[in-house]
Amino acid sequence: MERRAFYLFCLFSCLAFVVPVFAQEGHPLTGTWSGDWGPTPTQRNHITLVMSWDGKNVTGTINPGPDAIQIGTAALDVTNWTVRIEADGKDQSGKAVHISAEGKIDDLSSAHRKLSGTWTQGTTKGDFRISRD
Amino acid sequence: MTALFFAAPVLSQRSFSATYDSSRQVKVQGIVTRIDWVTPNVFFFIDVRDATGTVTNWAVDIGNPIELERDGWKRSTLRIGDAVAVEGVPARNEARQASAKSVVLTRTGKRLFAPPTTRRAATSPVPAPRWPDGQIRLGPPPGKTGYWGSASTKVLVENTATKIPMSDDGLLVNIADADKVAPFLPWAKAVYEYRQRRFLRDDPYSRCVPAGGPRQFQMPNGFQFIEQKELGRILVFLGGGNRNWRVIFMDGRPLGTAAEAVPSYYGFSVGRWEKDTLIVESLGYNEKFWLTSSGLPHTEALHLTERFTRSDLNTLKYEVTVEDPRTYTRPWTGSWTIQWVPDQDIQEYFCEDNSDFVR
Repeated sequence: MERRAFYLFCLFSCLAFVVPVFAQEGHPLTGTWSGDWGPTPTQRNHITLVMSWDGKNVTGTINPGPDAIQIGTAALDVTNWTVRIEADGKDQSGKAVHISAEGKIDDLSSAHRKLSGTWTQGTTKGDFRISRD
Repeated sequence: MTALFFAAPVLSQRSFSATYDSSRQVKVQGIVTRIDWVTPNVFFFIDVRDATGTVTNWAVDIGNPIELERDGWKRSTLRIGDAVAVEGVPARNEARQASAKSVVLTRTGKRLFAPPTTRRAATSPVPAPRWPDGQIRLGPPPGKTGYWGSASTKVLVENTATKIPMSDDGLLVNIADADKVAPFLPWAKAVYEYRQRRFLRDDPYSRCVPAGGPRQFQMPNGFQFIEQKELGRILVFLGGGNRNWRVIFMDGRPLGTAAEAVPSYYGFSVGRWEKDTLIVESLGYNEKFWLTSSGLPHTEALHLTERFTRSDLNTLKYEVTVEDPRTYTRPWTGSWTIQWVPDQDIQEYFCEDNSDFVR
């Protein structure tokens, strides 16, 4: 009986994590991306990027909400699927901060494609890894 | 059990180019062990014995059952236990699978599943049926059955383009011809070329995602119009997916804007008649499908204008103008014709039918 209950628990636990894998087949940057950046593997900061393509420019927001930072420019180089993002905002103390990120898209055809590379925020340099939700 | 729930989606209906390598040939002989007469493709399986006596089982793809049956072949044409010789195109991967170009019954030497050598003589066109008010009927004549079947092409290219060498499912012979297919924005051309270089293997349709947009009128199982004049709408029943359907509103309601619409595979459609042509405008598409099997991208800004002209009983001309300023530099138009299949109904087709043996 206990074993049966355990199997049922496993079954429903698994079902709870099943998500549909329907790719977004439009512009590669469009959508919500989440992950983290940081100067070391242990010092990480959660980031969410929401980007959209209007036919001429990629626009978007870093960390939407009260501390949102508007993306100034986001450029996709389709020859090698690299992305360069520049943004100006304020840090938690209200001090002006510039963000510069450069990364490469991996697994372009996946619904959960990845973008990773270098991330500079103010004077702090590190790396970032985000994937499309 | 846990692993089962995280299994990758089964690729149940990959395009020909994604599945088979046309640059190679394969010849196998063996005994039929199983026959799966299902849509969209019929497979039979043979045990093949090599020189060392080792037996391996091969899956042989012989095409769409509707087309086979139209050519006079039946499920009973081949029987379990028959010995056959197969020549065909092997799978791209290491799977023991082939698309047959020739199947010969060893015992008699008879060639099976080949198209007939003589086609029915062409007859003079029968006028398109009409409703009592004189409007063209898109469905069968009164008292008859039938549906719209094969399209003259499985790809969508701009009408002004010269003949572009490509496979039936749109794999370019020369990738440099991409510019001739459609007026892409740079990102869209890069995405299109990426999909082409991967032999179209990422086609969402292979994961049983509906064939949205114009592609719905290129599927092997065809479609049917149900004109509900009293309700001010036309339903399109699609055979080439999971028995999907689409609504075209004919009651004069406005099209609205893409920003207001709920993104979907078939969009929000309003139609009107101009003489004998049904003109349908649609927007509100999601970005989860390719416009055709060849990998044409689009965004939610997509606006399609479709023109359906039934020039005679058996012929429907389909023309579509693609407008998506986030993907293409300008509106562009492609077209094809679709043949009427008289006295038959659309066959049942569920996408997953082939899934247990597509490897």
